[in-house]
Amino acid sequence: MNDNTVSTFELGDALAIRCGNTLTGVFVPGSKIALSAYRHVKWNSRDAPTETAGQDPVLIYLAQETTLFEEPVLRSLLAESNVTFATLQELGQKASRAEYLGVSHAYRSLVRACLERLDHAKKTPEVQSDEDRLQRITETIIVFYAAECLWHLFEILYMQQNQHVVPQLLDWARFYAPQIEDRATDFLLMAEGASENDDYWDVLKSLVMVGALDVTRAILVQNRKASQPAFKAAELILTSMPVYQEGFPLKKFHSQWEHWHVDAERKIRANTFGSEPELEELLQLVTGNNEKWDAGIQESSEWYEFLPGYLLYTKPTCKPFELKIAAANWLNRWTLLHPDRQLNNMDRMISQLMEHDLRLFIYDTQKINDTHWLTTHLIDLIYHCGELKSYFEQNNIDLPALRHSMIYEYGSYLMSTRSLWQLGVDYLDCCKQEGKAAMELLLPRIPLRSDRHALKLMSVARQRGLVDVEQEICKVLSRQSFDDRRYGSALEWAIRSKDVLLVTGIADFILMNYSKTGNMLCPDVIVSIGSRMFISPRLVFLSKYFEFYKLYRNRDFLSAVELLVNLLDSKITPDYFWPSLLIDTVPLLESNDPKIFSKETVAILHHLETELVPIIERNTDKLGNKNAESVLKDYRVENVDEILNIMRLACARNLARALVIEHTHSI
Amino acid sequence: MSFPKVSSHFVSEKISAVRWLPEQLHQSDRFVTGSWDMDHNFVRLYRLQSNQYADTSVDYIPRCNDKVAMEADVTAMEFVDKNTLAVSCADGHISLMNVQRAVEEDQLQRTARSERLHYFRYSNKSAPCTGLSVYGGDIATVGEDGCVNIMNASNVKQVKRTIEADSMSLLSVCYISQQQLVTANRMGIIRVLDARAATGAQPKLSIGVASEDEKSSNFVSALSTHPMQQHILLCGTEEGSITVWDLRNLECPASYLSAHDSPITDIGFHRKDPSKVFTAAEAGEVWMWTENKLIGERNLQDGSSAWLSGDRVRSLISVDGVLTKIRKSINSFDTNGSRLLCGSDTEAVYLIDNIF
Repeated sequence: MNDNTVSTFELGDALAIRCGNTLTGVFVPGSKIALSAYRHVKWNSRDAPTETAGQDPVLIYLAQETTLFEEPVLRSLLAESNVTFATLQELGQKASRAEYLGVSHAYRSLVRACLERLDHAKKTPEVQSDEDRLQRITETIIVFYAAECLWHLFEILYMQQNQHVVPQLLDWARFYAPQIEDRATDFLLMAEGASENDDYWDVLKSLVMVGALDVTRAILVQNRKASQPAFKAAELILTSMPVYQEGFPLKKFHSQWEHWHVDAERKIRANTFGSEPELEELLQLVTGNNEKWDAGIQESSEWYEFLPGYLLYTKPTCKPFELKIAAANWLNRWTLLHPDRQLNNMDRMISQLMEHDLRLFIYDTQKINDTHWLTTHLIDLIYHCGELKSYFEQNNIDLPALRHSMIYEYGSYLMSTRSLWQLGVDYLDCCKQEGKAAMELLLPRIPLRSDRHALKLMSVARQRGLVDVEQEICKVLSRQSFDDRRYGSALEWAIRSKDVLLVTGIADFILMNYSKTGNMLCPDVIVSIGSRMFISPRLVFLSKYFEFYKLYRNRDFLSAVELLVNLLDSKITPDYFWPSLLIDTVPLLESNDPKIFSKETVAILHHLETELVPIIERNTDKLGNKNAESVLKDYRVENVDEILNIMRLACARNLARALVIEHTHSI
Repeated sequence: MSFPKVSSHFVSEKISAVRWLPEQLHQSDRFVTGSWDMDHNFVRLYRLQSNQYADTSVDYIPRCNDKVAMEADVTAMEFVDKNTLAVSCADGHISLMNVQRAVEEDQLQRTARSERLHYFRYSNKSAPCTGLSVYGGDIATVGEDGCVNIMNASNVKQVKRTIEADSMSLLSVCYISQQQLVTANRMGIIRVLDARAATGAQPKLSIGVASEDEKSSNFVSALSTHPMQQHILLCGTEEGSITVWDLRNLECPASYLSAHDSPITDIGFHRKDPSKVFTAAEAGEVWMWTENKLIGERNLQDGSSAWLSGDRVRSLISVDGVLTKIRKSINSFDTNGSRLLCGSDTEAVYLIDNIF
């Protein structure tokens, strides 16, 4: 998380070393960089193969940003925040503040639940034995703990819109410093014996400094010496401290508070607690004694730890805009007392929030290693609730554009990460045209696991009108099935893809295969194509021919003849299939009882002369006599030329027969 | 009548199948889930525990008791008997799991794994096993290679029969009786098969599912038969409609209902109360279809059903949304008593109490 640390890559394979250990990188989709060895070529380099060409394999490395989301436990965070995100989109920009606060709470509570789960996972033996994972989980806990802490503070300062922030800040600070409270609980359980602990007074001081007065009092009451006058006086001071309630007249409160303050200081000066120096110190903290607080500050590990407590004793009615100055002063004071301590990112971001410097805050949150989870969701929330609109306008920040780009980046990340694609869809849906375009690019890149998976992807694409994506997926699957000799599957995918050329290609393949071998591939698919056949004339032909094929097999010759003649007349017969189609007529023409009328016989003869003969001639012209049959082939004859005569004779015989019968009947 | 109570529980896995553990005497509080599209897929055994945080409206929280790592996506699960679970996987195998109920931690163990049941003949690559159906001790599986495999749960290593039923992916299978099966493919063709006959001797019984637009493809992704009247077959399709067939009369569908706007992912009668049918859809909806009372009673006697009443079916059956606006596919559901359990791509399971 340091600006100065830039990742460096080194390949170190044989080829790279030979080239002087240089490398080149190309961005590939999915936020990856493809790295490979590189040799510099200049305008004056010789255009010749290098002396080492072919000696070493060219290796390509893929560098990818590491992300915390590889941790399985974190998936629930992604999935749940996705649901909350969608809820927020539905709320739109017109909902009440309470509803936006609800959304903010939902986000925070799911981070907290996830932290709890991570903590639980960390303790399991499975993780304990896996060092990498343990490390990753520890890191994750730190990152999301910080994210939640920042979000909470943001919520207090910018969303709740309370006039007086001290009580909430106290809660906030206490929540993120649980160690003190844990110790306090121990003391409460130990009752009288607690004061014998070495850290008794230190813990009490810390408790006072985080503003947990109730707990401090409860512990003090249990002290063995609680009945002594010093303790009684202390108890009185602590209980009589006025606490500001929202709505109470401010002036009245101030005068009460002043009075209490003066009274308390007077008591301390009067040496009421002389016999109990430790107790006196506590009360000096409560009255805001600078010396004692400075001592306390030196003990503290985070600058913001005791700020809310200090405000409680010195400025209990602090308003958000006053906090800005108070926080700045406090931070100065703290850094003066911790000269050797560098402020880390978290420290900076908290001060940015308190000092109302959202611009820098947003800039810094993007450096958190959470793949922009926090920034994306927080900015989206800011955008929707609209409280800070004027701030962003004054600072020349185009909030909608910022939100748009954050969501776009986050959505693309999810979409290009295996198995998170479904979550990414919702984010990209918010990005209008760009989102759609990104989906169009990213959806087809998702590796397909099964048909169901593919159908799911297609359903997503279809809902968004991404016709090209749907078709591309179908085409890929069709091709795969075809290569795998699953022709039925290939044909069905092709029909789904609505790609006429592809469908025609596969139909051609099936027809050619039939004319070569007499084997009809995937009859169960062809028979059930139904009205889907109209996508391609070739498919219509295939379906109709198959219908004929079935009728013929079922010995329903009259219907078969009718269909066959229709097919001959249809003008959709592919050239290569003419021989097969005409050969099919031979047995019908030559059968013992006549099946074809004279008119149809003439038509067959006509087709023979006008279609098949020219085709054969053309082929012979083009390829020479010997190769003719290589294009026109039927499994039933060896040489296509031979059938011409057989067919002509068969037609003539049937014509004669049919004419006689037809005319006999008519007379 | 109390209102249904919906609670969602995020499990960090895309769930492809859910099943309640069968219980004889009481409502089940254990269930199994199978995941898909994850780096590592698991079958997990959950148990409902009463919620200790009193401040929420959630009564039960599922807790994972045990898990078994699978080689690939889990595609379907079905209980063969009280303790034995059959799981089909996208690597073309099925596995049998044994569930051991215990007071503290229940256990789940894989007891058998079949040979590779489904593969593409030419490339010899594994084909995903897409569905399974159980009848008695028999298990039938279908896969993307278009084959149906039948074996007995007592020995899944030995396949009793392989039927090359289709030349494209089969998406769903369902037993009608001990001998008869129905399968559905990606084109919406439903075939009736004989479990005893070899490929060549299969009855040529196939029906095409009804569709709004005849020119577009419309796969059948879910099949279910009536638990008592097994001639009633419900088919859920890609366009979101339900086609009902009376298997005694295959000439035309008995009823056709347009329902969801997205592909139906799962369809089924309530296990104990066949007057209720549930459908789940890709867009994240679960609907409950209820036969209107009066007519239901009359129909039980004459052996027909409101589902078979053609155009009148809409007036005889009312429909309620059980889950809506989930926005991602509900892949599977199961009923047990008054509880409905749904598994979804949102990486959550939804538990609905008091469905009726």
